[in-house]
Amino acid sequence: MHKALKIMVTGRIQGVGFRPFVYSLSKKYGLTGTVQNNIGCVIIVVEGNEKKVADMVNELQMSPPPLSKINQITMNQIPLNGYQEFSIISSQISSNSIPWMSPDAAICKDCLEELMDPNNRRFQYPFINCTQCGPRYTIIDSLPYDRPNTTMREFEMCQQCREEYEDPMNRRHHAQPICCPVCGPIVTLHNQQGESLAEQQLAVLQTVDLIKQGKIIAIKGIGGYHLACDAYQASVIDRLRLAKKRPQRPLAIMVKSLDVAKKLCYMSTKEVKMLTSSEMPIVVLTRLKDCLLPENLSPGLSTLGIMLPYTPLHHMLFEKTGLECMVMTSANSSGLPIQYKNDSVHALQDMCDYFLTHNREIHFPVDDSVVQYTGEDMLYLRRARGFVPDPLKTNAKVDGIIALGGNQKSTFAVGKEQYIVMSPHIGDLENEEMIHSFEEQLHHFKDWLSVEEQYIAVDKHPLYASNSLAKRMKSIVIPIQHHHAHQVSCMEDNGLEEPCLGIILDGTGYGDDGHIWGFEFLYGNGHSFERLAHLQYTPLPGGEKAVEEPWRNAVGMLLYLWPEEGKELSLKLFPEKSKEINMMESMVINQINSPMAGTCGRLFDAISAILGVCVTSTYEGEAAIKLSDPMNGLHMESDETYPFQLQTNSENLLQLDLSPMIYQIIQDRFHKQPITQIIQTFHRTIVSSCVQTVQKLVEKRPELNKTVVLSGGSFQNVYLVREIQKLLQKEGFTVYTHKNVPCHDGGLSFGQIIIASHAVNKVPLDSK
Amino acid sequence: MVQRISLAHGEGGELTHQLIQNVFIKSFGHPEHAQLDSAIVTCPTQTIAVSTDSYVVKPIFFPGGNIGKLAITGTVNDLAVSGAIPQVITAAFIIEEGFQLNELKKVVESMAAEAEIAKVKIIAGDTKVVEKGSVDRLFINTTGIGEIRQEHRINPGAIQKGDCVIVSGTVGDHGIAILSARHEHGLFTDVESDCASLNHLIQELLEEIDGIRIMRDPTRGGLATTLVELCEDFHFTVELDEVSIPVRRDVQGACDILGFDPLFLANEGKVVMIVDSKNAHKVLAKMKGNVLGENATIIGHIASSDEQTGKLLLKTAMGTSRRLHRLAGMLLPRIC
Ligand SMILES: [Fe+3]
Ligand SMILES: [Mg+2]
Ligand SMILES: [Zn+2]
Ligand SMILES: [Zn+2]
Repeated sequence: MHKALKIMVTGRIQGVGFRPFVYSLSKKYGLTGTVQNNIGCVIIVVEGNEKKVADMVNELQMSPPPLSKINQITMNQIPLNGYQEFSIISSQISSNSIPWMSPDAAICKDCLEELMDPNNRRFQYPFINCTQCGPRYTIIDSLPYDRPNTTMREFEMCQQCREEYEDPMNRRHHAQPICCPVCGPIVTLHNQQGESLAEQQLAVLQTVDLIKQGKIIAIKGIGGYHLACDAYQASVIDRLRLAKKRPQRPLAIMVKSLDVAKKLCYMSTKEVKMLTSSEMPIVVLTRLKDCLLPENLSPGLSTLGIMLPYTPLHHMLFEKTGLECMVMTSANSSGLPIQYKNDSVHALQDMCDYFLTHNREIHFPVDDSVVQYTGEDMLYLRRARGFVPDPLKTNAKVDGIIALGGNQKSTFAVGKEQYIVMSPHIGDLENEEMIHSFEEQLHHFKDWLSVEEQYIAVDKHPLYASNSLAKRMKSIVIPIQHHHAHQVSCMEDNGLEEPCLGIILDGTGYGDDGHIWGFEFLYGNGHSFERLAHLQYTPLPGGEKAVEEPWRNAVGMLLYLWPEEGKELSLKLFPEKSKEINMMESMVINQINSPMAGTCGRLFDAISAILGVCVTSTYEGEAAIKLSDPMNGLHMESDETYPFQLQTNSENLLQLDLSPMIYQIIQDRFHKQPITQIIQTFHRTIVSSCVQTVQKLVEKRPELNKTVVLSGGSFQNVYLVREIQKLLQKEGFTVYTHKNVPCHDGGLSFGQIIIASHAVNKVPLDSK
Repeated sequence: MVQRISLAHGEGGELTHQLIQNVFIKSFGHPEHAQLDSAIVTCPTQTIAVSTDSYVVKPIFFPGGNIGKLAITGTVNDLAVSGAIPQVITAAFIIEEGFQLNELKKVVESMAAEAEIAKVKIIAGDTKVVEKGSVDRLFINTTGIGEIRQEHRINPGAIQKGDCVIVSGTVGDHGIAILSARHEHGLFTDVESDCASLNHLIQELLEEIDGIRIMRDPTRGGLATTLVELCEDFHFTVELDEVSIPVRRDVQGACDILGFDPLFLANEGKVVMIVDSKNAHKVLAKMKGNVLGENATIIGHIASSDEQTGKLLLKTAMGTSRRLHRLAGMLLPRIC
């Protein structure tokens, strides 16, 4: 029996070798027909033996090309046409599906083999790629994904490359960035004066020598420049820190191979899998006790951010050169956007000694992604290269909505039909350069997705940069409460639509009562929310300054919670700050620039300062990260907790009072209890207070859905997320954590767009 | 016994008469105006500038001045930065019942002294006494009239790229002085308010140097708010160089602790000017020759004119540029 099928496949199927794959399947099963690319959709027509057609469809679904992601397959039986052969027909631009742009992918096994094969014509050629690997997102300026729409348009294919490109059986069939030493880009080594010192393989070898000599090299990669230096030389790392104005924040390293990584860090199977995936993010791992890398890579921390070489150029730097580990940190001065343009050389001059650069232009920058495992689950610390711009499917009506996220670790989200497309991590919108970069990327997304927004979702904080940006965009602005966005972000991440509980442990967010929220127990969904409980407020003397200087948080709490004794305690804890403490007393009493806040992040800051772990921070989250570091891989012997209280306040809100804990921690510190022990008990208290609060809430309101989502920046704390989840599950709750977007402010836009869709599509009450 | 103001002092009878004669006329002079319902003045030019302002500063006595001195310098400076030469001033007092008479005298005397320095005449006034709690001790309103001379017209229309932004001295002094005075216990610093009449300095500049496009006295909201308003009103973008902005060390120190930015703190004796770059150094030299302008500095320039929406940008010491907006009602942290 003969049969004809029309198969439509949507998903990540462009530029991933999908058509050659279909072509080879047709050959394998002896079928005829056509395959055609549309934007976001491949249409296959096959004819032949019914059994063979079924087999082909099965293989298509079960083992598609590794880089592809099938989102949906629809099949219809159609009349036989009598095709004589199977052919690939040219692309058609249709807009009834989401334009799917592929992320950049790490070099594949086949290309790597060729790179190292002296007999291959691309031997040691730093731009080798194929349909299964290489740059995508960063070189595409518009869709459909064809060479003229990429920055590779500058390079005309040579005869041999063209043949490979056109041969449907070749693994480089329609590999848009295809090139070779004859026709493709070149790498060059420059000094600071811009003089070219060497090219291609020679440039790479000289770079390795310079790195070994303790030099800092700016290396142009996939999504921008990195600053690289030898990860074993503490002195050059210090110099790099100075140049980047980044005294303490951990620096990522790139290691030669998995074997090298195994000599440095503990790794679970999942971590190994992620390290070697085509996304190849930075994975935060725990150092081995005998790890020989210098401490100044990640001061005060027991973790290291590790990635493997993901471009051919990276491999060439390590292969047979004796180099094992390089610092690979994005090339930008702290707080500024990553440098990626050809003229970046000027901006980077003061930060490095040499440049290893190339003439394949980067159209859009993207940082390295960073992930961490809490055990089985993965947390996104930064969602960027490799993951962006994969769309996320939704049931909400988000079409025509853009959400602008928060002010830090900012991302935006664009709604297109049934999908949400998240921008890569852009950074903190603290200066015009970052805001400009944010706007540029937003325009790019609107462009290739052809979205003209009708609604803009923003955070309610009146001073966020996105607020003035939204005003300039002249569409309808929908303001959204920060922690509501966190909660809904986690709900959407897990496909939850019914109202549920949310524990939002966060830094600082603008609350509906004008105070700073960040330790919230909410109940609701995208439609609305109710605040059920929160941490007691204490002042932040100096406002933003108190976030940079955790000791201020501590002093603010002490002066406010214990008016009699607070000053004495403060002076005893921070004797070198006596002048400031005197002034701060006046600030707290007279409410001068001392906003009231109840947040988990600031609580961690205060405890970190009280324990002397981090008194002044040099990067966002430093105090909290250093405070929880001892929890990493620690075995718990006791289940002791500090005292705390839960009270119902005048507005019938449950209020968590942790002051008895703070007082006890100070006593323990004065009595020279081991710091690690105090830190453990503190962590257990936070977990236990969250669990008890939730229990009390459902006791009070038995009708509440016993499902809990965990979101907010403090859930980057691996211990907190794991333990709260575990204990709540024990109490019969169903607990969800983030899956595809970060729990911190990088995930806000994801929640905002859902909440906005509810606001937009709400049926007015009186219309019924 | 301390003499206090009573409600009867405001009833228009004998006590009121005594108050006017013994306190106001004694200090301000010009008894001739007190005999009529209005003060009659002759204006040397056709065009005049009028400015009015109410002073409710708390506390009314602060290091470097008091509410009375401020009521003169504030109105004098508002006239002066408009290019006017202040001539006469009226003053209205709203006094809380129970206010000490000798304090009132002190205030009035320093008004007279400041008027003398600024060479303006205080020619009309009014006094009301209100019940306890209706006002906080003493409020003063002053209205000033100044003469506009054609040849001194400032010219904002000529603002162009490259023009310099000059401030006549350190910023934030008044703001910190008031905060310190308000909260004696945690005494932040002993910085004095900069409050001073700038009309002579400004007049000299206008008479001797061309190319002064526009000026403002950066009072409430500070230098930043003042410049944001100029940028928006006249459609240009200013780029300030953070490191060059003069700030007293103790003011900076207090700001560091308070979490305030001196660019947003009030000044009462400073002028900020936009000047043709060709004449900027002349202006600077002239200012530096006057004690009120000894710390004058070029702090930035016009980065572009003819903007849709003018912006105030700050090149920071870190090498980034930050856009500054008007002083926000509250300083809520944005760091999550
Ligand atoms: Fe947040
Ligand atoms: Mg005024
Ligand atoms: Zn490949
Ligand atoms: Zn070629």
